Amino acid sequence: MNRPSLLAIAILAAIALPLGLTDFWTFIAIEVLVFALYAVSFNLLLGYGGMLSFGHAAFFGVGGYTVAILVKHGGLPLAVAFPAALAMSAITAAIIGFFSVRRIGIYFAMLTFAFQMLLYTVALKATGLTGGDDGITGLKAAGALSKPIYYYWFALIIVIVALALMHRIVHSPFGMTLQALRGNPRRVEYVGINVRTHQLATFVLAGTIAGLAGAIFAISSGNVFPGWLNWTASATPIVMAVLGGFRTFIGPMVGAAVYVMLEVVISGHTEYWPLIMGVIIVVLVLMMPEGIMGMTRRIRDGKR
Amino acid sequence: MANADALFHVDGLSKQFGGVQALANVTMSVAPGELRAVIGPNGAGKSTFFNTITGLFPPTSGNVFFQGERITGQPPHALARIGIGRTFQITSIFRELTVRENLQVALTGRERRSWSIWPKARTMNMPRVRELLALVGLTDTGTRIAGTLSHGDQKRLELAIALAGQPRLLLLDEPTAGMAAQERLASIHLVGSLARELGLTVIFTEHDMAVVFAVATVITVLHQGAVLAEGIPAAVRAMPAVQQVYLGEAVAPVE
Repeated sequence: MNRPSLLAIAILAAIALPLGLTDFWTFIAIEVLVFALYAVSFNLLLGYGGMLSFGHAAFFGVGGYTVAILVKHGGLPLAVAFPAALAMSAITAAIIGFFSVRRIGIYFAMLTFAFQMLLYTVALKATGLTGGDDGITGLKAAGALSKPIYYYWFALIIVIVALALMHRIVHSPFGMTLQALRGNPRRVEYVGINVRTHQLATFVLAGTIAGLAGAIFAISSGNVFPGWLNWTASATPIVMAVLGGFRTFIGPMVGAAVYVMLEVVISGHTEYWPLIMGVIIVVLVLMMPEGIMGMTRRIRDGKR
Repeated sequence: MANADALFHVDGLSKQFGGVQALANVTMSVAPGELRAVIGPNGAGKSTFFNTITGLFPPTSGNVFFQGERITGQPPHALARIGIGRTFQITSIFRELTVRENLQVALTGRERRSWSIWPKARTMNMPRVRELLALVGLTDTGTRIAGTLSHGDQKRLELAIALAGQPRLLLLDEPTAGMAAQERLASIHLVGSLARELGLTVIFTEHDMAVVFAVATVITVLHQGAVLAEGIPAAVRAMPAVQQVYLGEAVAPVE
């Protein structure tokens, strides 16, 4: 079967999915969509740009909080809150990126980490705006979107459009340039391309999409917490991307789906779920160092 | 600036690393069409000279001019855009990409299309890619992963990457480093014939005298960061000072 028909089937299946699901599982399906988007946005940095950010949760959190504050305190509709969340996360990413892409490797990771912890502190301390430790709760979309199935379709459309955009970009001249500078930034400079501006643009794009994911999730989960901005939250997309395979476009999506499902299934059975999950992820990564999709591709290529 | 005819002119270039004077007041002019060899024993300052004139780091003092414009301290991407291409002593290619993609990236830089997100990158500029591959003798390697090419072929690919930018001035840092003796001469003759064919001016550093005398039209000898001698190959070879620096190394007879 060729790629376009596979894609069409996948999209139809995604549209039909909630028809057979309870509200609980519809929310889980939304969570998968959100984290698939979040993990792919992160992978623009890691897999394509070779930049290991340890602060990607900053943008997910800024997107979530922006929507939460505007909806809760401002009483604004999603049609205003979502674009505002995109703008806020883009601006935040531009500022953090401006300082961070000047450094490479572990220094880049540490700078992104530090900026994110700064925002975490703001979320904790600016109690009037963010609710401090308690976060902002009781968020709800108005009208039809308050029904889980409609919100799922709403989220699905946004996620498909954003994924299509990122897919387009990684296969464009810009995307090829990005993959070239991952391995050899100096050579890229010497063919007449300003490496830093391209890295910054990628950082802003990745941050904006992460903010979008956070915005979707704020409404579906009904609340935002400072923990969204904590450093452990920045490890989530790293694990998802590596688990699914960060050398492929869809790998992080697969990683996100596996991660979310594992969490739901295991946490339903034991309070020690993080321990079990940790063990499973360690085993999976050891068995498949290139991730699930890297493994799949290898098997497929081997059979040809 | 001194020399109005020069394509490339370096004026009083000095570079200090801490207390070490790596370059001391180097002045040189390179005319269009020259194949200029910059030679000198290890530690003479060849690499520092190269890295300073290609914007990797700024000089402590002095200036660099290209086509009459002052380009001192400009970043590498700016130099590439005005027509200066370079290769590295340690071959610098995109090892994870295919040979074809290596050149497509270079052409993207040349055409200032690295920001465009529309056309599919994989099919871009194919005629030009084939032309460049033929030019350096790499036809039929287009779909291979660049890192799997032989060392010599990687050097050729790097040359093609530099040529993709349609430079007027090509700077080659040890273009035959790591090659077998036979391969060295073949490789430098390729550079020489390409330079004539494409009307390029070339500056290269080299420690193999046979390679230098095979193509250089003018030679500059660096010693302890300063210019020790300069002139046409026969004249430089005859200079006692040069012979002394090389302690009778292979400066003398060449076929």
